[in-house]
Amino acid sequence: MRFLTILSISLIVFSSCSNNKSGDISVTIAEQYGLAYAPLQILKEKKIIEEQIPGIKVNWVKLGNTAAIREAVLGGKVDIGFMGIPPFLIGWDKGMDWKIFTGLSKAQIGLVTWREDLKTLNDFGPEDRIALPQPGSIQHILLSMAAEKYLGRSDIFDNQLVTMKHPDGMSALLSKRDVAAHFTSPPYIMMELSEPDMTLVVDGKEAMGSDFTFIAGMVTDKFSSKHSDSLSLIKSSIAQAGEFIMEHPEEAVAILKKDYSIPEEVLLSYLTGGGLVYSPEVEGLPKFINFMKDKGYLEKTPENIDEIFIEQDIK
Amino acid sequence: MKYLSNRILNKIFERFMWIGLLVLIWIIAVLLGDFSPLILPSPYKVLQALLKGFTEGILGKQILISIVLVFAGMSIGTLIALAFLFLAVSSRMGDSLVTTLTAVFHPLAGIALLPVVILWFGTGALSIIFIIIHSVVWPMVTNLLMGYRSIPEPYKIVGRNYQLSSFKMFFNITLPGSFPYILAGLKISWARAWRALISAEMIFGAVFGSGGVGWFIFSKRVFMDTPGMFAGIVVVIIIGVLIEDFVFGVIESRTVRRWGMSL
Repeated sequence: MRFLTILSISLIVFSSCSNNKSGDISVTIAEQYGLAYAPLQILKEKKIIEEQIPGIKVNWVKLGNTAAIREAVLGGKVDIGFMGIPPFLIGWDKGMDWKIFTGLSKAQIGLVTWREDLKTLNDFGPEDRIALPQPGSIQHILLSMAAEKYLGRSDIFDNQLVTMKHPDGMSALLSKRDVAAHFTSPPYIMMELSEPDMTLVVDGKEAMGSDFTFIAGMVTDKFSSKHSDSLSLIKSSIAQAGEFIMEHPEEAVAILKKDYSIPEEVLLSYLTGGGLVYSPEVEGLPKFINFMKDKGYLEKTPENIDEIFIEQDIK
Repeated sequence: MKYLSNRILNKIFERFMWIGLLVLIWIIAVLLGDFSPLILPSPYKVLQALLKGFTEGILGKQILISIVLVFAGMSIGTLIALAFLFLAVSSRMGDSLVTTLTAVFHPLAGIALLPVVILWFGTGALSIIFIIIHSVVWPMVTNLLMGYRSIPEPYKIVGRNYQLSSFKMFFNITLPGSFPYILAGLKISWARAWRALISAEMIFGAVFGSGGVGWFIFSKRVFMDTPGMFAGIVVVIIIGVLIEDFVFGVIESRTVRRWGMSL
């Protein structure tokens, strides 16, 4: 017994030493599910970051929702996370030390229904339940924007939300039972709309009134201040992976297909259909900030965009 | 009566002492630990968030919804468990059916059933009640059967001598004879039901418009209101302790303890 204890302690000590001694950079990146994260898949498979920054150790984690990513960042387990702009802003508002350093994707996201009687938001009654990933998510904020725009009350649907991950929300919608509509993103929105009877009530662009970045990359201040050179290389790797998908969609599909149970030609049509654009640009930040401050989701607004955004040229 | 209230007063005192100690450790951890308030807020902040939940939010209504749901689920679940017990003690085939069902479904966590429940019952109150019933029935049946088997054989022989019908046998011999086990079953079921309810609410979202305590915790989590999240957890604990100490404590001292048959 004592021998085992000594052995395990020495193993732990030894392994932590070996980590520290090498002096190499290690970065942990957290992502979520969906085609909007496709460039990260490419980075992972083609080891682009490792190629750009010799000696770097990249750890990838896939988490089920943005709250889990925020908690992992708070706990010091994650350096870089990918999510929608609104949950990032909520974290920043509550005092998290992190900033947006890159955009990842723009995507068509929207509210899909199976019910013929639900043609516009006006037709929704208080019993018609709407599935989305969680309150405070980009889906929820865009739904609130649409509610404000068409019904004059942003929180009108807040008591009829069902929190579901995209795949669960899709099966709830397709079963045509008590979930009336699903606010979702690619590939689920495309899969749902390709089923009979499914229609789009409103989409994100319409709610927002302009293009916006769907998923962006956030980095902790601790990481960015220590490794600003690596960070800009990571940003350019992300841009490169995005370009690769846009320019060589067939090759990209060959890499991506193993993570989705979608036929290759369908996946290809999703990537080339215009519903997804991969770009390191960040769009729509001020609009999200103003709306969320206005509706009480944020208590403060940044005085200067530098407080929440790292402007960096791609090398 | 005096004996009873003394017991309960003692219990309250002891509870407060231990809980006070835990809060003290919490305060010391906050003072010395230099944690971000997003990770470990101070008890004072949590208390503030709790009050805010009642005054600015609808925490009171949410607590009521949770309790109504759990009692609806528990009552139905207990009735089903009693029916199973009746089935099991009436015939050998019934017994093997009930023990098989219990063996099959007892290990199945309610949350594991969730995807199926969503497909069958949707995402409303019905689904949550179904999950509560599932988490109540099996431990209850197990305890009831154990209780039945622990009834001294002479009791049953007396019952048979009197040529009691199955029903009379059940209500006059089986139920009173296995009461300590029924009570233990109720306690376990309550804890399981309460846990199942909170987790189901955190997954399903709002029920009856505003949701229950589980939804309160979840919505605090997604908006990163850590003190509010802790406040929700405190509410879950307080309700758990209250039910355990007062409801079950009172039932216990009025029945099995008085009868001299506590486990």
